[in-house]
Amino acid sequence: MIIVDNLYKSFKLSKKQRKEFNTADSEAVPVDKISFKCEPGRIFSLLGPNGAGKTTTLRMISTIITPTSGKIEVAGYDVATQPNEVRKSIGFLTGSTGLYERLTADEVLKYYADLNYVPKAEFETRKKHYYDLLDMHDFAGKRIGQLSTGMKQKVSITRTMIHHPDVVVFDEPTSGLDVITAENIIKLIRDCKIEGKTVIFSSHIMSEVDLLCDDLAIIDKGKILYNDTMANFRANMKADSLTREFIRIVNENKKVNA
Amino acid sequence: MKKIILIAKKEFLDMFRDKRTLMRMIMIPLLVFPLIIYLITTVQESQSEKEALKELTIGYYLNGQSSDMIDRMDTAAPFNFLAYEDTAAITADIKAQNINLGIWFGQDFDQKYSAGEQATCGIFYRAANSEEYERFDNLIDLQKEYLVQERLALNELPADYVQPVSFIMNDKSTVEEVIGKYAGGILPYIFMAFCFMGCMLPAIDLFAGEKERGTIETLLVTPVNRVHVLVGKMIVVTSFGLLSATIALVGLVGSLYLMGDGGALTDAIAKIVTPQLVITLYLLLIPVAIFFAGIMIPVSVYARSFKEAQSILTPLNIAVIVPATLGFLPGLELTYTTAWIPIVNVVMATKAIIAGNAEMGPMIITFVSLLVLSALAVFVSFKQFGKESNVLR
Repeated sequence: MIIVDNLYKSFKLSKKQRKEFNTADSEAVPVDKISFKCEPGRIFSLLGPNGAGKTTTLRMISTIITPTSGKIEVAGYDVATQPNEVRKSIGFLTGSTGLYERLTADEVLKYYADLNYVPKAEFETRKKHYYDLLDMHDFAGKRIGQLSTGMKQKVSITRTMIHHPDVVVFDEPTSGLDVITAENIIKLIRDCKIEGKTVIFSSHIMSEVDLLCDDLAIIDKGKILYNDTMANFRANMKADSLTREFIRIVNENKKVNA
Repeated sequence: MKKIILIAKKEFLDMFRDKRTLMRMIMIPLLVFPLIIYLITTVQESQSEKEALKELTIGYYLNGQSSDMIDRMDTAAPFNFLAYEDTAAITADIKAQNINLGIWFGQDFDQKYSAGEQATCGIFYRAANSEEYERFDNLIDLQKEYLVQERLALNELPADYVQPVSFIMNDKSTVEEVIGKYAGGILPYIFMAFCFMGCMLPAIDLFAGEKERGTIETLLVTPVNRVHVLVGKMIVVTSFGLLSATIALVGLVGSLYLMGDGGALTDAIAKIVTPQLVITLYLLLIPVAIFFAGIMIPVSVYARSFKEAQSILTPLNIAVIVPATLGFLPGLELTYTTAWIPIVNVVMATKAIIAGNAEMGPMIITFVSLLVLSALAVFVSFKQFGKESNVLR
């Protein structure tokens, strides 16, 4: 379970940044008092255009950055006061996630298992499970730098799941991947749901969201514009396609704020 | 502690598999001094041999004087004497590099010499070809000595008549003192220069490199305290600095040892590079290495990419090299004042240790100030690493 309550994040802008972003504001607010809930056994999607605040929200949920105000609870632990407990419960995968190119797949997985306090026997069992599932045995001893993008993605998936997290955070996980490689991620997200894990993933691709998610939140300029089940989103659509409905909601909000 | 070791172990493995690391931190420091020493000695030897064999053509203008001196000099093998009718022709030929040097006699040379007065003789040479002049000068020195002895004999005076006192020089300083004074700064200078270079590559790779490769986020999501991540990485940066410096010193001392081939140089090295010196050197240099890591890590944490970090850190090299060269200045020693200046104090302290005249007070100040400085650098690194604006820049 993930509970996000009145979450707010602001950054001070340096002179250089103000010039870069063409603003006179001394502060940027990537996340502006948002609240939502992700249930176990369901897939929650955070949908929004580029720069909407999706990555900042997921980074706060994953304890990488700290909220300015508001509260986040992950698997029953408070992000602010129990960050290590939260980290133990989280699997984190992004489209831009890198791996240590000079280590082998085996070494990378062992490293993350050790960092996550996974006992040796448990590690071996889980490693075998994913190696069988994703057909990874042939390149287990090869250095990451020698692997194809698809192979690397499989290692990333196993790395994310090696400590059997209750909550899995995917930040635009298929970004930059071809259809075949992205399919592994789609399958992983579905498997997580079947296993009863809490899944949150961000995307700006409506078709991907439609394919996977049970609950949806549309975010733009740090604010939640829509938050309901995917079934209700489909049922109450005013446009003729999901993508157009998503664009309609975002544009409508722009008009309100203009 | 377990996590620190785990992170350090992984980073060591990662770095040792990097060809750039092996090249820049192990191969270059190991081979640079043997190669430089080999090249210098080989080139110098072959140049000296060539120079010794090269025939020098000396133009001379007797100016109506006897040719006795030229005849005596002409017997020396690689010299060829050529007679001229005036000094202008000699000068022109030297300028045109047709001949190497020239000598002319004053018009009353023979008369003055016979009368026991000072006769005049001029020499034309090119300072740009100093080795040619030096060879000819040796020949001239022999003639001066010959003429003095001849004049003494004519006047029935003893050979040492013009040397009324014989001074017996007796050097009481030890080899260690001499080397400590003139060359003692070299050891810490080399150690610090290589230590800095050794720290640089891992400092960039383990922070800016990790950001660039997109691995930092996944590392920060693991249940490991950020201080432990920082300390684990810092251990690796510091160790590579010390490793690189140690390898450079082994290369230097080893090649000098081989060059000495059991002679005086070998004895001098054995006298200087004692276990006490090595231990003291490391006691001083470990905090220096931590300090280096501590100034490089914040820069690397701040930089967006490997390239950006490298472009900021490379000029910092000068900030280390310049103070370290102060150690070569004669007269500058470890005092209660210089002991407070970082880098300079290490060079001075090492010089004093080698010379055997290190005072306890300045030594303690040096050590304590280095410890404080390294602790400060670690603190700054921690502050910078903790800033989310830096880590996710």
